[in-house]
Amino acid sequence: SDLTKLILLDSLLQEKKKMRLVSLLCILVVGISQCLAEKRILALLENLAVKETHSIFFSMLNRHGFSVTYKVADDSTLQIKKYGEFVYDHIVVFAPTVEEFGGSLNADMITEFIDNGGNILITGNSNTGEVLREIASECGFEVDEEGTNVIDHLNFDAKDTGHHTLVVADPKDFIKSELITGGVKSPLLYRGTGILADPGNPLVLEVLTGSSTSYSANPEQPIKEYPHAVGKNTVLIAGLQARNNARVIFSGSLEFFSDEFFNAEVAKGNGKAVAAGNAEFAEALTLWCFKERGVLRVDSINHHLVGETSPPDFYTIRENVEFEINVVEKKDGSWVPFKGQDVQVEFVRIDPFVRATMKNVNGRVSAQFKIPDVYGVYQFKVNYLRLGLTRIQTSTQVSVRPLRHDQYERFISSAYPYYASAFSMMGGVFLFAIVFLYYKEDEGKKKAE
Amino acid sequence: MSGSVVPVLGRFSVEKQESLLKLSILSISVVLAFSTRLFSVLRFESVIHEFDPYFNYRTTRFLAENGFYSFHNWFDDRAWYPLGRIIGGTIYPGLMVTASTIYHFLNSLNITLDVREVCVFLAPLFSSLTAIMTYLLTSELHSVGAGLCAAGMIAIVPGYISRSVAGSYDNEGIAIFCMLFTYYLWIKSVKTGNIYWAALCSVAYFYMVSSWGGYVFLINIIPLHVLVLMICGRFSHKTYIAYSTVYTLGTLLSMQISFVGFQPVQTSEHMLALGVFGLCQILAFVEYLRANMTQENFNVLFKSLIIIISGIIGVGLGVLTLSGKVAPWTGRFYSLLDPSYAKNNIPIIASVSEHQPTSWSSFYFDLQILTFLFPAGLYYCFSKLTDHNIFIILYGVFAVYFAGVMVRLMLVLAPVMCILSGIAVSSSLSTYMKYLDSSNQQTKSTSKVGKIKQDSSSNTQKEGIAYIFVGMITFFLISYTFHCTWVTSEAYSSPSIVLSARSHDGSRIIFDDFREAYWWLRMNTPEDAKVMSWWDYGYQITAMANRTIIVDNNTWNNTHISRVGQAMASTEDKAYEIMRELDVNYVLVIFGGLTGYSSDDINKFLWMVRIGGSTPEGAHIKEWDYYTPSGEFRVDSEGSQTLLNCMMYKMCYYRFGQVYTEGGKPPGYDRVRNAEIGVKDFELDVLEEAYTSEHWIVRIYKVKDLPNRGSR
Repeated sequence: SDLTKLILLDSLLQEKKKMRLVSLLCILVVGISQCLAEKRILALLENLAVKETHSIFFSMLNRHGFSVTYKVADDSTLQIKKYGEFVYDHIVVFAPTVEEFGGSLNADMITEFIDNGGNILITGNSNTGEVLREIASECGFEVDEEGTNVIDHLNFDAKDTGHHTLVVADPKDFIKSELITGGVKSPLLYRGTGILADPGNPLVLEVLTGSSTSYSANPEQPIKEYPHAVGKNTVLIAGLQARNNARVIFSGSLEFFSDEFFNAEVAKGNGKAVAAGNAEFAEALTLWCFKERGVLRVDSINHHLVGETSPPDFYTIRENVEFEINVVEKKDGSWVPFKGQDVQVEFVRIDPFVRATMKNVNGRVSAQFKIPDVYGVYQFKVNYLRLGLTRIQTSTQVSVRPLRHDQYERFISSAYPYYASAFSMMGGVFLFAIVFLYYKEDEGKKKAE
Repeated sequence: MSGSVVPVLGRFSVEKQESLLKLSILSISVVLAFSTRLFSVLRFESVIHEFDPYFNYRTTRFLAENGFYSFHNWFDDRAWYPLGRIIGGTIYPGLMVTASTIYHFLNSLNITLDVREVCVFLAPLFSSLTAIMTYLLTSELHSVGAGLCAAGMIAIVPGYISRSVAGSYDNEGIAIFCMLFTYYLWIKSVKTGNIYWAALCSVAYFYMVSSWGGYVFLINIIPLHVLVLMICGRFSHKTYIAYSTVYTLGTLLSMQISFVGFQPVQTSEHMLALGVFGLCQILAFVEYLRANMTQENFNVLFKSLIIIISGIIGVGLGVLTLSGKVAPWTGRFYSLLDPSYAKNNIPIIASVSEHQPTSWSSFYFDLQILTFLFPAGLYYCFSKLTDHNIFIILYGVFAVYFAGVMVRLMLVLAPVMCILSGIAVSSSLSTYMKYLDSSNQQTKSTSKVGKIKQDSSSNTQKEGIAYIFVGMITFFLISYTFHCTWVTSEAYSSPSIVLSARSHDGSRIIFDDFREAYWWLRMNTPEDAKVMSWWDYGYQITAMANRTIIVDNNTWNNTHISRVGQAMASTEDKAYEIMRELDVNYVLVIFGGLTGYSSDDINKFLWMVRIGGSTPEGAHIKEWDYYTPSGEFRVDSEGSQTLLNCMMYKMCYYRFGQVYTEGGKPPGYDRVRNAEIGVKDFELDVLEEAYTSEHWIVRIYKVKDLPNRGSR
């Protein structure tokens, strides 16, 4: 039976080699397709005319290497999932009034897409359709009622037709992150509905808000009730970075991305006309949304004793430990070392026992510290949340043991008196025993007593 | 003589016949002790029972595989997450060392038994040894006849069997043997006054300390014996030598067990031993002085010495207690002295069923006829008072008291009951047998105790009484045997990991839900998954499912257990915070509503509430909130809202509202509480059902992650 076992083992080994070859090939193929894969966009349009009216936006996408598939939003062949896998990485929805998507696509499918890491850019307008409202509310914001527009009686463009709905958004109302806004300094043109952000959702980003004088209402009707969104609460463009780092942008205005606005000049009241920043802003926002910028990746996590390189099975209390991660950032389509200096690591056992700011040397972020004098199961936790960047959340579990029985000091200097007394006692008893046993009392003396 | 009754035996001399009889009776007892404990193995299978034995089994396996030093330094990161537990320093290693020694010994003989088999059969093996040890001890105390009688009794006494059936692999299994062994050697050393026996006694004491926390009973009963001897004026050089040796050597040895550490010189449980040791020295010194001084000088010296020494001791103890060097009385010991102490102060102690006071019926259930023979045995001891008889009297009286306080100390009482009953039976039989023997040579000696002396009184009336008496004792002993076998087979032989019930037609149904669910956990969850359950199931989960658990049966950290109790007793939101804090991935509950398994988590729930509310963090959890306004604990629609909305309720009764359990009852009828549950249609927010075992006894839930797109 030993022989057959050997033969079996041998064939198994050969099988293994073959497998390795096959898997290598697989990795290659998958790798190549992955390269292309991350840039597949599905553009859902209101009608095919949108492709023309927003041609600058789409050509910008092509310029950045995205492959865009154009579909009308209610196309009955619509399908984003094949054989259990999503066939697109990003979705652009330029179909504000669509009530229901065609084919198998619906709001649940979109949320599933987001939960699987897909990114999506949605635009609405004053007549935002039902399905988009549903998606919006799944992502933590709410589109204002039908027919409403953002109105600002102080900040409107000169071309406005009288309702003051062609709003001029000021750079000071941008979200404070150059990664998202691209550092645009010029004012933006906006015409569309207002969005309300869910204050209970910590993940929602107010990318662009109205000025303090704006509000959202139906310009055709007299205002009887207090508007839903007033002042800074009127969100023009809302964003969400989900916990799985999927990104969602919801703009209340489709026209914001149109060729017309991209090429427009802005003149507030009687002020001087300047070129609108829409094109620049939209490009930055889109690249952010589709994970071309502001993306961090942890390449490796390593922890070890100071002076060593590989992680031990366990640590012992009071040892010096080094924790390091390699972080890279996506910039202009390629991965470069991350430059941030404010990454912190925590050494947690229910509560953090150590919290240290890590040194960043060319993307290798590391910290050294001494393990506390408390044994238990700890985690190295990095929880790096910065506006505009994907979050880094890692936790690495290690156990910290107490000293072994032979790791304690053998002799304690303060105990020397006790050692001395013990040994002198032993010696004394030994001598006493000898004397007691072998000393013969003088017979005469005993008698005298 | 009795020898002439059986012709074959007649060829041997009286001594030889006697030793043959002794040997056969003893070996029958030994075999009986082993075989009566095998019910569970025959009926179910060779499995480890209950809760603690699973831990012992797991540690034994570790010891057998990794050797003593890694066992000694074992830091277990799979239990008490995230605190971990130093196993080497928090257990009595005697049991594991014994089992793994046997395992290695057998393997070196090429008998390749599994560690599990060794563990399962260790307790029966040691029960057999206990029978022999009881024989030795009783013969040393009284007579060989009493010894044989006691050996026969202890072989089948239910009070001892309850903790030593095959599979019940727990400390007590070997500890009773160690205890009796130590007593035997102690009696030997008191009798002989020999350092040799005393040193052996302290080695036996060391083995006892290494195997069970109950050694505290032993280290108090021996000094108490010495103290009583002093008071009775029976203190002699023999006692002095015996006690001084045993105390010093025994204490030094016991401190080598790292779990015991410095306790023998610090805690108040051990202070009696220390005090008596001191008293011994003083008494011996005083005797010495008295022998060498005039009476007047001695009196002066004696008075001043008394004052000085008591002053020093008083001040010293006071300072030590205040400075915290002498640990205050621990809770478990307080509850020994005052049965209501634990109930009022420490819920975690009171919650364990084996720490409850013993009911009268369980005395009869566990000891039967011994309960009545015990006083008779005491009487015989008093009637011939010796140094060693005093010991057994003290042991008996104290054991009765402690067994009354705590159910599980019945175990300590059982041996002394057997010893004293053995003395009683043997003494009374030998009193009456005399009459039968002299009048009728042909009488078959019904008793095992055949030590009959010739007496020349022949009175028919006496003979009649003797007949009646012997018959009565015989009847009692036979009924004792039947009772013991019945109790063993009915009450003490179920492994509690596999449950059995009778169906309508009388056939047996086996519920193997526990192992089913643990196996599911083992095969379907990530290796580092953390499982939260009430602490009762901790040991089983680590041993069988091999997953990290939050709390287990080693209840060393009340705060941590309290945290779990709070999670179970809170609403889902609050519980979710606690579960995230503890990195819990799965929650496991035991539910008996479908099968009628009554020791499930809903019935234990009030303890979770009490323990959860006993720490400052859980101060908002109040027991009263879980009762109806009229003070009842109900799960039906009249139950309190706090109860109906807590995690435990939801986890137990999730989807239960659609299930029909009994004919003629509405769906969602709980067969344990006999009520239709109050809330039937509800969804879980933070949990999702992961697994429910065949009979719904074990239900496992997975803790959901934070929602991907925002807060809940």
